[in-house]
Amino acid sequence: MKTFYYSLLMCFLSSPFYAQKTPMLSDTTQVNTLEEMLIIAKKKKIETEMKMAVSVDEYLASSDQISFIKRGAYAWEPLLNNMSSERSKITIDGMHIFGACTDKMDPITAYVESNNLAEIDIKSGQEGSMHGATVSGSINLKRKNTLFSDYGSEWKGTYQTGYEFNNKQFFNLGNLSFASDKFVADASVAYRKASNYTDGKDNEVKHSQYKKFNTSLGLAYKTSPLSALRFDAIFDVAKDVGYPALPMDLWLSRALITSVSYKKLFEEGLLRVWDTKLYFNTIEHYMDDTTRPENLVHMDMPGWSTTFGLTSKANLRKENLSSEIQVNAYQNIAIAEMRMYPQDRSERTMFAYSWPWVTTRYAGVSLGNSWDISPISQLNFGGSLGLNYNHSKYIDFNWIFYPGAPQEKTRFLPSIYTNYTLFANKFNVTIGGGYGQRAPSVSEAYGYYIYNSFDRYDYVGNPNLKNETSYELNASAGFKTENLNLSAKVNYFYIKDYIIGEILSLGSPMNYQSVGVKGYTALSYAEIVNFSLNGSYKITPNLQWKGNLTYVRGKDDKGGNLPFIRPLSYQTAFVYNYKKLSVQTSLNGDLEQVDYSPKYGEDNTPAYKIWNLSANYAFYIKNNKFIFQIGAENVLNEYYSTYADWGNIPRMGRNVFTSLKIDF
Amino acid sequence: MKAIHLVLPALFFAVTSCTLDKTDFEEEIAVEIPENYSFEEVFSSQKETYKISVEALNGTFYKGYNEVRVKLTNVQTEEFLANSTITFFPVLTVADKQESCPHASILEYNSDEQYFEGYVVFTKDSNVGDWNIQLNFTIESGDFQVDKIVSVVQQPNKNLNMTSFTGNDEQYYIIALIAPQKPKVAENNLVAGIYKYVGDESAIINNEPNALASSFAVVNKYTLLLDPRMPEPSMGNHSSPNNRDLIQGEDGLYHGVVNYTMTGNWTLNFIMQNQNGKIVKGTEVSTDFTPGVEGEKSELYIDILF
Ligand SMILES: [Cu+2]
Repeated sequence: MKTFYYSLLMCFLSSPFYAQKTPMLSDTTQVNTLEEMLIIAKKKKIETEMKMAVSVDEYLASSDQISFIKRGAYAWEPLLNNMSSERSKITIDGMHIFGACTDKMDPITAYVESNNLAEIDIKSGQEGSMHGATVSGSINLKRKNTLFSDYGSEWKGTYQTGYEFNNKQFFNLGNLSFASDKFVADASVAYRKASNYTDGKDNEVKHSQYKKFNTSLGLAYKTSPLSALRFDAIFDVAKDVGYPALPMDLWLSRALITSVSYKKLFEEGLLRVWDTKLYFNTIEHYMDDTTRPENLVHMDMPGWSTTFGLTSKANLRKENLSSEIQVNAYQNIAIAEMRMYPQDRSERTMFAYSWPWVTTRYAGVSLGNSWDISPISQLNFGGSLGLNYNHSKYIDFNWIFYPGAPQEKTRFLPSIYTNYTLFANKFNVTIGGGYGQRAPSVSEAYGYYIYNSFDRYDYVGNPNLKNETSYELNASAGFKTENLNLSAKVNYFYIKDYIIGEILSLGSPMNYQSVGVKGYTALSYAEIVNFSLNGSYKITPNLQWKGNLTYVRGKDDKGGNLPFIRPLSYQTAFVYNYKKLSVQTSLNGDLEQVDYSPKYGEDNTPAYKIWNLSANYAFYIKNNKFIFQIGAENVLNEYYSTYADWGNIPRMGRNVFTSLKIDF
Repeated sequence: MKAIHLVLPALFFAVTSCTLDKTDFEEEIAVEIPENYSFEEVFSSQKETYKISVEALNGTFYKGYNEVRVKLTNVQTEEFLANSTITFFPVLTVADKQESCPHASILEYNSDEQYFEGYVVFTKDSNVGDWNIQLNFTIESGDFQVDKIVSVVQQPNKNLNMTSFTGNDEQYYIIALIAPQKPKVAENNLVAGIYKYVGDESAIINNEPNALASSFAVVNKYTLLLDPRMPEPSMGNHSSPNNRDLIQGEDGLYHGVVNYTMTGNWTLNFIMQNQNGKIVKGTEVSTDFTPGVEGEKSELYIDILF
């Protein structure tokens, strides 16, 4: 133990001095390309045009495919293609992780930090089936990996700190890496602390504070010139997190995410890369309502989710065809309890499981191919076949609403997709289609009286639900010159047996705020169309414009609106660079939400527009690069809430932010 | 590297141990339910070479429904005797008055288990008066009688509660819960016995045992409409789905289904209908969800707790 802590300490203490002694090697110095592949290092950074110290959520929000359900200032639920998170597959480096909160306080994105991620890979629709069955697509959060160094030992680090005035958020993000020819280590530490934010009317939004600590460690050892063994771990703690839109807050959540992987490269032959990973992750999540004295009932609602699994992939290449085969297998156990305390505390507490020890096992094979038919055309095709098994230990709970439902259920989840791209001069056109199925989530199949504060119903899972089947068509067109980039994308989903909650005439609510019981059922079908326009233009070498527009429509089988469908939204931004100074401004907003769904608890949301402004300045002190940024979000202090803000909680008003980043 | 081999497992165990323990569900449902539920001897008596042993759950008679098992053994041969007739008769003496309670007068032989079985529904506990059990059995060598004062205690398991009342027809009824002894958060088969006082007042005054013995009868072809609810104010009159009213089975007892959605206090609200569908006792309760208000109860109900 001691040696380890000592060496860790040394890492932090000695690095700045060490860095000065060894000459700084630029990232682009030639490295054996094969070795480069050993650890895929991305130069991209998790930051947006406006803000260099963003949270993972803010970063994801800059994608036009992602929208969010927000229950507060922390841990937003990402919606891909305007579909809830059950329909997407969110992974960290391909590892399956499942949140431990029945109220969706903890999407997987809450367990990483921007400083331990290199890239977020978003795949729309069945193209995302590489990591397992999905409907809306996949979001893979890729961690930072430092390359092996051929030029002796090398230390690198980044430190970022900042303050956001609106919610008094103070954050510190630190990264340190060590690279030698045989051994690589990456470490990161992040701490954020925020108080309640204030809305556009300068009112404090109570219960919107949070504290988050995240640390990660990655160690890689080169076992041979073409193979490496890597160990990774992330440890995340969130404490005292408020969810203003929910009747409860989070007292504590902890996640440990670990993996060991082995990667081997091949210089010739059909098989090029083989990468296998064993992983284990466990999450504990304890909600707390003692911060809400207005609640009639005191409840304890702890949740646990533990997953272990294996993912193994092989990259093959022959002439114009490159393929990836991936095997995924995992087991997850989800447990959530609820204990209600009677008003007379000496009386018996009332106990039930909201997730009655539900085991999910999945095993599947996925295949993705890319075939360069000609220099101007490419065909991508692939698919997956998965086996999904569920077991509910305390099936008695589920039998209360669905007597005789099977305790175990096995489902086959097929998926297939293809798309064809044609490049002609400055144009490119892609058309494609897909078909896939997903199994109901733990809550949808086995959830028990899970209170949904959005429509104020208690939700009960249905073990008999059929697979949700998606038929998908997509097309895109692009035009690209040196200065101008335009693209349009459209996709259409026809989803058979679309899972959604409908009012049950059975039973009565258990949670006192609730107005009734809803059971997950399947609509015979639902349809969703996503449309987006993107453009960027270099007006002068120093001035760049970017913009996008998205439009979505979602309908159920009776022509009614689906919930959480984003109204017409837009974003436009200018970036101006002058020497070491750069200035950015952006305007974004949604139009009025006209096609809302009262049936699912939605109401009309007015239009809003947000203007943001920021400037940063880069300078060097003794070989160390410093970037200072200052900016303001929602400069006009607009009072607004979006279509997907749980309980219409108002969003943050004007927020001045500053941050300083040092590379050493 | 070596240090890491040591540190990582240690780190792993340090952070994988949970902050809060998961609930042990088996233990959780056992909180309110007394533990051992096996048949044990309440008393025994020897007549010549014959030993008669009376067994009940936990070796104790409780107020409410008790299943009774009687074993008759030949002490010399250690054989269980089957070819006998055993009659069973409980009498409560309060001051100088005597009364009986619902019971099986003639115990039936269960050849699989080699005992005689019956039941008794004690209407009061021994604080009120003395309960005397009179057993008569006939075997080849003659007739024997055993008299024994027994102790009847309050039933600590509320799931075996009973209630007695006078119905709208001016008759005196007893409803005793028989199952589930240990309910689950699940669909539970609910079993109850319904009995009616049919005895003749004069029979009691004349101290005529036989008339007293038949002073209660099983009620036939009634229906017990069921509406289970949680009375706790914070539960807002919470109820459960898929319950079934109690109807009489071939065993003479009333069978239905109650779903308990969580542990805690529940009230079984009943409406008792006679064979003609006429309400004998009970009122409908509000189905409104009323958070913060203690649930209203039917005029006929039994509280349970688990
Ligand atoms: Cu939660």
